[in-house]
Amino acid sequence: MRTLGWIAINGFRESVRDKVLYSLVAFAILLMGTSYVLGQLTAGQDLKIMKDLGLSSIAIFGLFMAVFIGIGLVSKEVERRSIYGLLAKPVRRHEILLGKFAGLALTLTVNIAVMTLALYAVLAYVGWGENQFARQAREVPALDPALLKAVALILVQLMMVTAIALFFSTFSTPILSAGLTFGVYIAGYFSQDLRNFDQVVNSRAAQVLARGLYYVLPNLSPFDVTSQVVHGLPVTARYMAVTIAYGVVYIAMLLIAGATIFSRRDFK
Amino acid sequence: MPLAIETIELTKDYSVGFWRQRSRRALDRLSLQMEAGEVFGFLGPNGAGKTTTLKLLLQLVFPTSGEARILGRPPGDLSAKRRLGYLPENPYFYDYLTAEELLTYFGGLLGLRAADRRQRVSKLLDEVGIGSERHLQLRKFSKGMLQRVGIAQALLNEPDLVILDEPMSGLDPLGRRDVRALILRLRDRGCSVFFSSHVLSDAEALCSRVAILSKGRLVASGRLSDMLAFSVRGWELVVADVRDDVLAAIATRVSRAVPLGGGRFELEVPMATPPEKLLADLTATGARLVSLNPIRETLEDFFIERVKQPS
Amino acid sequence: MTVRSRLPVMYAVFAVVVLGAMSVGLQMFRDARYPLTTSQEETLYLTQRATGRMVFTHRSLVSDLYWIRAIQYFGEHTQRAQRLAATFLPPPPALSADPPVAFDLLYPLLDITTTLDPRFNIAYRFGAIFLSEGYPHGPGRPDQAVALLQKGLTTSPDKWQYWQDIGFVYYWNEHDYSKAAAAFARGADIAGAPWWLRSLAASTLAKGGDRAASRLLWQQLGETANNEYARNAARLKLQQFDAIEIIERLQKAIDAFQARRGAPVRSWNDLIAGRVIPGVPLDPAGVPYELPSPSRVAISPRSPLFPLPLEPAARTGA
Repeated sequence: MRTLGWIAINGFRESVRDKVLYSLVAFAILLMGTSYVLGQLTAGQDLKIMKDLGLSSIAIFGLFMAVFIGIGLVSKEVERRSIYGLLAKPVRRHEILLGKFAGLALTLTVNIAVMTLALYAVLAYVGWGENQFARQAREVPALDPALLKAVALILVQLMMVTAIALFFSTFSTPILSAGLTFGVYIAGYFSQDLRNFDQVVNSRAAQVLARGLYYVLPNLSPFDVTSQVVHGLPVTARYMAVTIAYGVVYIAMLLIAGATIFSRRDFK
Repeated sequence: MPLAIETIELTKDYSVGFWRQRSRRALDRLSLQMEAGEVFGFLGPNGAGKTTTLKLLLQLVFPTSGEARILGRPPGDLSAKRRLGYLPENPYFYDYLTAEELLTYFGGLLGLRAADRRQRVSKLLDEVGIGSERHLQLRKFSKGMLQRVGIAQALLNEPDLVILDEPMSGLDPLGRRDVRALILRLRDRGCSVFFSSHVLSDAEALCSRVAILSKGRLVASGRLSDMLAFSVRGWELVVADVRDDVLAAIATRVSRAVPLGGGRFELEVPMATPPEKLLADLTATGARLVSLNPIRETLEDFFIERVKQPS
Repeated sequence: MTVRSRLPVMYAVFAVVVLGAMSVGLQMFRDARYPLTTSQEETLYLTQRATGRMVFTHRSLVSDLYWIRAIQYFGEHTQRAQRLAATFLPPPPALSADPPVAFDLLYPLLDITTTLDPRFNIAYRFGAIFLSEGYPHGPGRPDQAVALLQKGLTTSPDKWQYWQDIGFVYYWNEHDYSKAAAAFARGADIAGAPWWLRSLAASTLAKGGDRAASRLLWQQLGETANNEYARNAARLKLQQFDAIEIIERLQKAIDAFQARRGAPVRSWNDLIAGRVIPGVPLDPAGVPYELPSPSRVAISPRSPLFPLPLEPAARTGA
């Protein structure tokens, strides 16, 4: 367990010293500042677009971080041969994989926390200038704590993507892993369509296949509660619990599969 | 005393080709033994299978058949790894870490406690000669310095067995001397040292036992003293002030006469000719003795002879 | 082989500045000679159905972008239409078959916006107001306005405001009082609806076209709407009502004056000289009223309040 912690901290340290990551986060924050300007074009919907753009930025930049760091976690070690030095130490192979995942999860959490703070800062700036009547006229407050729920779900979704990227990288090259991960990500958003396949297509075999695919592919759209949060609709604790539980189970499944592959592999 | 390293018919096939599953045999039924406390040289040309063997021992790859034991335990065993140190060839560690951070990280993985860890890291960095550079990121290190960091991390847990893969590669003569001294120091401490190399003179100087690999097969193994008869093949006689007519007179009795300039000659005297007689004859003509040394069969001769043999 | 000397940095900086200035100058020259070809066609980029299918994530954000586009589209087209309308003499009919400025894309843009974000409240209400506005203040399509609001009701059946807006469209643009009252009543049935919605339904049914009821409707809208555009529309309408009332009073004064004098009134000076009015009367927007024909007062075509809405009572003759 302690070795897992060491590997995780080291992974986190690697990302902290990576300049590309800083640029991504800086760009996301810049985008949120820009949303303030964009908000002036929306006929009073400035808070809406700021929240929409803010949450979308967090999701997109988080996605890029998750994929590009995730695919490199394993392959960089193997390619550069630093895995030789690492495996000579008393660590088990699956500890390496889990430690790397934990490190990236920590990286994602920290970066997303920074971006969320920036979003709240911009929203606070807008809300600060408003008088009492304008504030009352708003359906949803500017500094809405429900935004945190949306961010939490985005974070869990990103950890699923990380697990997918990590899984692919245990056996394929970085470029292929990136392509596959993005492909699965997009398919995951369309998976709702697969569920309703039986209403569109008549072939029984196709329906069974579609249903099967629906359950296997990660179902990502429930993690996007931007619309609810922006319009002030409730996101219940039970919804959060069920959705997050699904995410955790899916992540565990992928990590176990990935660890198994990683443990049986030859490092040429 | 248990064997430090033992392999029994260890074999590794790699499958080559995407569709057609051909297999390439990288290691063919290797059986060798290394006693504890000795320095063992693992020799062979490039591509012979040395690195494959090391990877099998460290469980970086899995064997096709056969067994291996390291400190009496199977490869990958954690208790064995705790008593093991490994220096990879052309080591690359994490270039965003400083030398100190790397050793601290590995110390943590080895389960060293914080105070103990700090002390050992500092001591080892001093020992390998890394001073204030220890606070620089590894990406700024030269090859020689990386090698030294590699040695430091291999010795972090005061191991009973140290495995070095081409430890001299890329080092200048000063560095090589240091490594050689280190290996001897380790041996004196009672540590077993297993190193692979293709620099034979080092093996000759350091090892008590060697194994020679060629094309995945073991072609020779055993005590160095047993393998080389240490028989004398001839003599090397260096004399000065030799007159040309004297040189012509003794020409038949030597295999070779190499002029060294300034009237000096290096004479290669075959076994058949007793050197004392030749020397007496030369000094009688006014020549001077500079040096007289026996020519022994070297490991390199032995190596080339064995490796050239069709398998 | 020549030995290259190291250029001092200053020469390099100077060269870069000069080249930069040259590139700017060239662009200005080119733009003056060859004007940029802007596409006169406006497109949706994607059809309504396609957008709904293709945008599978960040829908809320894309909906915002289409919303911004809808606003800009509306703003540009109404500006153009009003500008053209002011130059025409006489002005074209409000709902001409082929108006000079078309608003074809307004409904599709609003449709996409609300498909991507079905709970986008303002998009429904904004759409309702301005789809129903007569030319040149809008496309004059009350049918589309009602369709958009109905769409909003399928997602959020608890929005009594949409029923209020539907009733509003029927009342003001379609002049169909029974449908308007029915809509108000449906809205009043929803839990949380304000008290006055039901009384509005009743009074609509009873009076049908009463100016006071109309004023009340617009006043409510001006107070409850939380965006500039709706409030401006309400203010405009209330000013137009004021103008109508002032014109009625002026007309009465002119008729009385003509009866006394026996001659038609041809200019404001007649009235000023006759001490009927102190000065040239201005409409609520500050533009003087006109006498387009003898003894008839009307609002100036150059006023932003032009054209004044025809009152339902006047049309039905009630």
